[in-house]
Amino acid sequence: MPVFLKGVGITLELTAAALGIALILGFLLALARLSTIRPMVAIATTYIEVVRSIPVLVLLFLSYYSLGQVGLKLSGPVAATVSLGAFYATLYAEIFRGGILGVDRGQTEAARALGMGRRMTMVRVILPQAFFSILPNATNQLSNLIKDTSLVFTLGVADLMFQAQAASATTFQPMDMLLLAGMIYFAFYLILSKVLARWEINVQRSRS
Amino acid sequence: MFHIVALYTGVLLKGALKDVVLTVVSSILALILGALGAIGRIYGGPIVGGAIYWYVEIIRGLPAILQLFILYFGLSQFGIDLNPLSAAVIWLVAYGTGYAVEIFRAGIVDVAEGQHEAAKALGLSRFTTLRKVIIPQAFVSMMPNLTSFLVLQLKNTTMLYLIGYADIMYQARLGADATEQPGPLYLMVAVEYLVISAAIARIGSRVERRIAAYR
Repeated sequence: MPVFLKGVGITLELTAAALGIALILGFLLALARLSTIRPMVAIATTYIEVVRSIPVLVLLFLSYYSLGQVGLKLSGPVAATVSLGAFYATLYAEIFRGGILGVDRGQTEAARALGMGRRMTMVRVILPQAFFSILPNATNQLSNLIKDTSLVFTLGVADLMFQAQAASATTFQPMDMLLLAGMIYFAFYLILSKVLARWEINVQRSRS
Repeated sequence: MFHIVALYTGVLLKGALKDVVLTVVSSILALILGALGAIGRIYGGPIVGGAIYWYVEIIRGLPAILQLFILYFGLSQFGIDLNPLSAAVIWLVAYGTGYAVEIFRAGIVDVAEGQHEAAKALGLSRFTTLRKVIIPQAFVSMMPNLTSFLVLQLKNTTMLYLIGYADIMYQARLGADATEQPGPLYLMVAVEYLVISAAIARIGSRVERRIAAYR
């Protein structure tokens, strides 16, 4: 059981680090796609389309083994964080883009008419309104991210799935160990999908 | 590097073909079960509906790889030893069904309430309403989700090498170990998945357009 908890810790650390990368990179990608500069739109669109189509497991292997071959040796946890972050950035980019586009055009026009600059309009007017509309999708992807961290055991990172595997091998009771790990994953899923969803509904209701 | 590409293209393509076949077969089964599940979830009352609800939640709440391992390694604890192929099919169908139920449910719920009422007012039975009124309309709004469903199933096949199923990923790993050249091999895997996903997306949007025109 203590090894499982250690595994949970690593799973959560990985999730947090990858989420950080995904949010920042995703936001930049969304802005690039919405910009009026042609090459930036093209680069962001290509990145999103390409990376999104590659399975996470292949991305993990690419960043761990393939980059290693060309001299860029990443450690297991770093490779895991980078590839999960890079993959989820594409998903968050689309969520952000949808959220920003979802804010009524009149809001931008009104802000501009009041003499706000483009940046100020974005930060003060668009983003606060987009924030609550993207929350459900954003938490949904977060629970997917937690689940996908289970793949990093293939790089030897000692996350929850890794510990469950190791414990199966030593105890010869794979079902018990896998179910125990499953219950932990499921608890996270329930917290994110039920508790947060309820909170979001309350927030949205109080705002409208 | 290029001789590796030349050497392994054939093997990898063969592995990819296995993945595609597996994806298609398991998706068809999962979609049939998913449609039935969605109908059960909506019209099945608290017991059937509740059971399906929790089935979907468990499938969506657990990491895919964990579910595969429960089938393949977990069941062996009770003396049930599945071979890689049957474990792969059961897993893909069971997992896909969980997602398919949600897609069909959302599609059916999406059809306006007025349609149900109109069909009832015309005296259509529940089954006829479903078959002639609701499902054709639900299908239109479901199309984009169906495309991403297929891509999801396809991507999940990458994990099958972990139970020793000889697909593209398995071949790439063998090759990477044998040649000590993981770089080009995993890149080729990535490209093959890119091409197949792009093909699915292309077919999906074409079908979508055709259905929209028919509407």
